[in-house]
Amino acid sequence: MHVVIVGCGRSGSALATRLDAGDATVSVIDHDTETRRHLPAPFRGSFVLGDALRKAVLDEAGIGRADAFVAVSSNDNLNIVVARVARDVFHVPKVLGRLHNVEWAPIGAHLGLQMVTTVQTTVDRLHLMLQHRPLDPEQVFGNGESLLVRSSVPDYLAGRPISEFNVEGEIQVVELSRGGHSTIPGVGTTLRDGDVVSFIVASSALDRLKGFLGGSWDR
Amino acid sequence: MKIIVAGGGRTGSQVARALVALGHQVIVVEADHGRATALAAEGLDVVSGNASVATTLEAAGALVADVLVACTDRDEENLVISVLAKQRHQIPKVIARINDDANLWLFDDFWGVNAAISSARALVDLVAPPAH
Repeated sequence: MHVVIVGCGRSGSALATRLDAGDATVSVIDHDTETRRHLPAPFRGSFVLGDALRKAVLDEAGIGRADAFVAVSSNDNLNIVVARVARDVFHVPKVLGRLHNVEWAPIGAHLGLQMVTTVQTTVDRLHLMLQHRPLDPEQVFGNGESLLVRSSVPDYLAGRPISEFNVEGEIQVVELSRGGHSTIPGVGTTLRDGDVVSFIVASSALDRLKGFLGGSWDR
Repeated sequence: MKIIVAGGGRTGSQVARALVALGHQVIVVEADHGRATALAAEGLDVVSGNASVATTLEAAGALVADVLVACTDRDEENLVISVLAKQRHQIPKVIARINDDANLWLFDDFWGVNAAISSARALVDLVAPPAH
């Protein structure tokens, strides 16, 4: 898979580095030669210096054979223009972009472009986290019979096996977040202080789960 | 005619003044607040804001305008303004300024541009007129 990225700032270089570590070949375009230093030394992809509006620059980055194109420059107008060019002129199968300013989102949507609006996404997430009370469902399934809930575990449960939460047909542990990393825990996993656990729980068993978690849910 | 001039820099403000002198109804959209204030002080109709934003263009009368001139000093901005003006607001005539001749290939119907002009290209054409 060949991916062309416009913008070698924090997002562009981080995405390029991650893709480069996998199977993808990556070309990063930036008009500022200084941004090349954001790419790590073992980076195998190419850095193309130039203005992404220029056809010659896009060609040099291999847009003609690209499977994906990502526009993450700091200029919202540029991201919109190059994303649309990649999709409609070069027919790149997957085209994504980023917008800093929420006021640009309507034009991106009008043109049918898939754009991530950073400020909006951050504010939505922070707002949700501020409002969130433990054991409010993150997701509701069916007609509300099953819920996905997340909760930190009380410290007195540290050292106990995570599987002790599981009650057949009522409560099932599905995920564990520890130190910013998420895993699907095995049966032998033991709880540590600071763990956040996701459960699928039958709505009828919610009170039971609250009981397991002690007072932690009504803080 | 009702004309929107997007971008009130050196070129945009001259275009606006000239069109007003010809008796047209002109509104300038300028993102820089200080410059917008200065243009308003000299008597031009000005909307302060970025013309890439649909609501700003609407405030400048995009729904009733006959012509839009995309005149900022950034080509990507002129393209976004043009496509918005043509597709979203259906302004009959959209004219764009090309700042960098290398971007000429982008300025066409695909971006809603009816006519585009690059001052470098215009000068070159005067020195060496195209054969056809």
